[in-house]
Amino acid sequence: MLTPEGMTRVLIAATKSQMEPVIREIYRQNLFHIEEFVEKDRKEYEGYRIGTPLPQANETSRELLRLRGITNAFMIREDEEGIPHEKQKNEHLKGLIGKELPALEKDVEELLARRTRLDTQIKEYEQKIEGLTPFKDIPVDLELLRGYRSFSVFSGYISRELHLDIPHEIYTAETKKTKLIALVVSNSDRNTAEQALADAQFQAVPIPDEEGIAKDRIGYYESQLLAVKGELEEINRRLDEIKKEHKGLFLACNELLTADVEMAEAPLRFATIGESFIVEGWVPKSELEKFRQGIHYATGGKVYVYEMDPSEVEDVAPTEYHNVSFAKPTEMLMDVYSRPKYTEIDPTLLVSIIFPIFFGIILGDVGYGAIVLALSLGLRKIITGDEGTRLLKVLRNASISSIVFGVLYSECFGFALPWKPILFSRHLNIGGHAGGHGPDVISLMIMAVWIGILQITLGRILGMINHARQDHGAHRMKAVMANLGWIMVLWGILFMLWAAFTMPFMPDFTGLPPIAVGLNIASIIGIVMIILGVIFIIRDSALEIVELPTILSHVLSYARLVGVGLSSVAIAMVVNFIAIGLIIEPQLESLSAVGVIIIIVGVLVFVIGHLLNTILGVLGGALQSIRLQYVEFFTKFYKGGGKKYNPFGMKKRFTED
Amino acid sequence: MADAATAVAATEMTVEMVKASQLGMKALGAGIAVGLTGIGTGLAEMAIGSAAVGATAENKDVFGLVLLLTVIPETIVIFGLVVGLLLLF
Repeated sequence: MLTPEGMTRVLIAATKSQMEPVIREIYRQNLFHIEEFVEKDRKEYEGYRIGTPLPQANETSRELLRLRGITNAFMIREDEEGIPHEKQKNEHLKGLIGKELPALEKDVEELLARRTRLDTQIKEYEQKIEGLTPFKDIPVDLELLRGYRSFSVFSGYISRELHLDIPHEIYTAETKKTKLIALVVSNSDRNTAEQALADAQFQAVPIPDEEGIAKDRIGYYESQLLAVKGELEEINRRLDEIKKEHKGLFLACNELLTADVEMAEAPLRFATIGESFIVEGWVPKSELEKFRQGIHYATGGKVYVYEMDPSEVEDVAPTEYHNVSFAKPTEMLMDVYSRPKYTEIDPTLLVSIIFPIFFGIILGDVGYGAIVLALSLGLRKIITGDEGTRLLKVLRNASISSIVFGVLYSECFGFALPWKPILFSRHLNIGGHAGGHGPDVISLMIMAVWIGILQITLGRILGMINHARQDHGAHRMKAVMANLGWIMVLWGILFMLWAAFTMPFMPDFTGLPPIAVGLNIASIIGIVMIILGVIFIIRDSALEIVELPTILSHVLSYARLVGVGLSSVAIAMVVNFIAIGLIIEPQLESLSAVGVIIIIVGVLVFVIGHLLNTILGVLGGALQSIRLQYVEFFTKFYKGGGKKYNPFGMKKRFTED
Repeated sequence: MADAATAVAATEMTVEMVKASQLGMKALGAGIAVGLTGIGTGLAEMAIGSAAVGATAENKDVFGLVLLLTVIPETIVIFGLVVGLLLLF
């Protein structure tokens, strides 16, 4: 349960004539994780070459590329509605790919090309209209505003009054905000005119290259635009029709061709020599027999399948999780950090238990827990992706834990439930009705510290196991002892503290009689443990000594379980106090029309406040408790960096053999 | 004379006043503890956060890891919060 799925290294060797049946069979089984062959990588493979793709590879990938071009243009998604569920037979599909698909592709490509052309045309017309618009109130033919030898024409906006004392002709078009002019002066007066225009803050606008009155031209282009847009709509409608009708076919062909291309290119990962080939890879131990029989049956026993010695090659095995179904969703949280190595302990199960408990300790509130539970169940319909579903399941477990702890803390939206807190009180003295003792902070803190001590000790024990399993030679013992040393230092410090101070929920050794130099037996045990522990740590690596203070900081870090939780309780109680104590209750004493509105405002404050606090609580609760796993727990034993088990093959959704 | 006596009484502190002022001091201390550690966390997360956003923009796969790195300085403010809570209760 705490180890990944067992893998066997398998070597397949055969003649090249068997290559295609072997590829087809391992692709169909979807079990074989190919270990890619790299030339000149290993001595025993001297003289071997990378294989060449199967003969049909080129043609198939060209076909696939064309199809992908179309599916991308259509933006067909696999989880779209209206896709037929029944799988299509490969043989039948192959016929369609040969006959129907090319014609269909040609149609679609033509339509797409026309669509692109129309799009460019629309842009062109729109640009022309844009250029003409400033001149729409100028009552002169546009061709009269250009092409003079002895006159200069200025057109553009001015934002101040224009003063000209030279002979000129001017047309103006004024709107509320802008003033457009078209000014014609003799070339000899050009400089004077430019000066005057600069004074009037002139901004030039180019005269469009058109003939006739601007207004008429705009009308003409608008009618053209309408026609083109109509045509475009027609094309889009036809494309939509094709998409609706052949969506299933496109997806099925895509799947079939993708599989064909992957199979055709598989020899690029094989080692070949002369007329034979070798491929190495991994198969889960539990499926080995089935795999072997499948290959035997598919090739009529003409293939040599060899199981390799596990002790030689275990280090590089890919990792596939092997967890009970309860812990499966949590694998997502593990992948976020790093997948475990094949030889390492897989802590998914531990995290799947501890994470919800921590979440509950932080956000222990029946009300918030119920909201999050409802959300995680309700969103299942909307979020359908693999990652999303797993996240929702993790959230569901966490929210159930939150409700349980809410009952223990006696909390619901910051209010007390009708019973006394079973665990520890987190009720703060906020608001007019406040009373009681306030939160039991000391007890809560000690609970958090205990959780920290236990989890860190567990982490170190797992660290000992990991080192014992992974390391070899003299280093192995040293590494195991170093982990033991860390545990001893931690507990040694605790023994010394217990001998010096009396603390609730902790053993009390202060009463023991002193033995030597005023120290009692517990202190002496503590000192001996610390010294031995430090020696064990130094023997493995002296540099680790600088990490000693982390013993304190990591244990105290678990105080966040209380701190973050209490701040969330405080916000809830403040919201309650503002909404009910300050806004709603005073109005209820003497109800008036204005009072009703104020009460509604109070209800809004209540709802929005608790909504915000739910979001904060979920974010805080989830982030803080996962962080405790990643930083405080994992750093003690977990390295990660395992390869993902990625078998050669595909889960078929739309096609079947 | 009577006026002088009340003036003297006003400057002298009663036990209740001392207690109330101690409570105020505790609240101030708690506030300073949380406030300053909050600033510390903010400063630390500032650089990590911007680097994290940059890294995520380049490669989405690192999101989980950088989220983790970003919340590491959160410990500082948690310590402040713990000290504040211990002062108040």
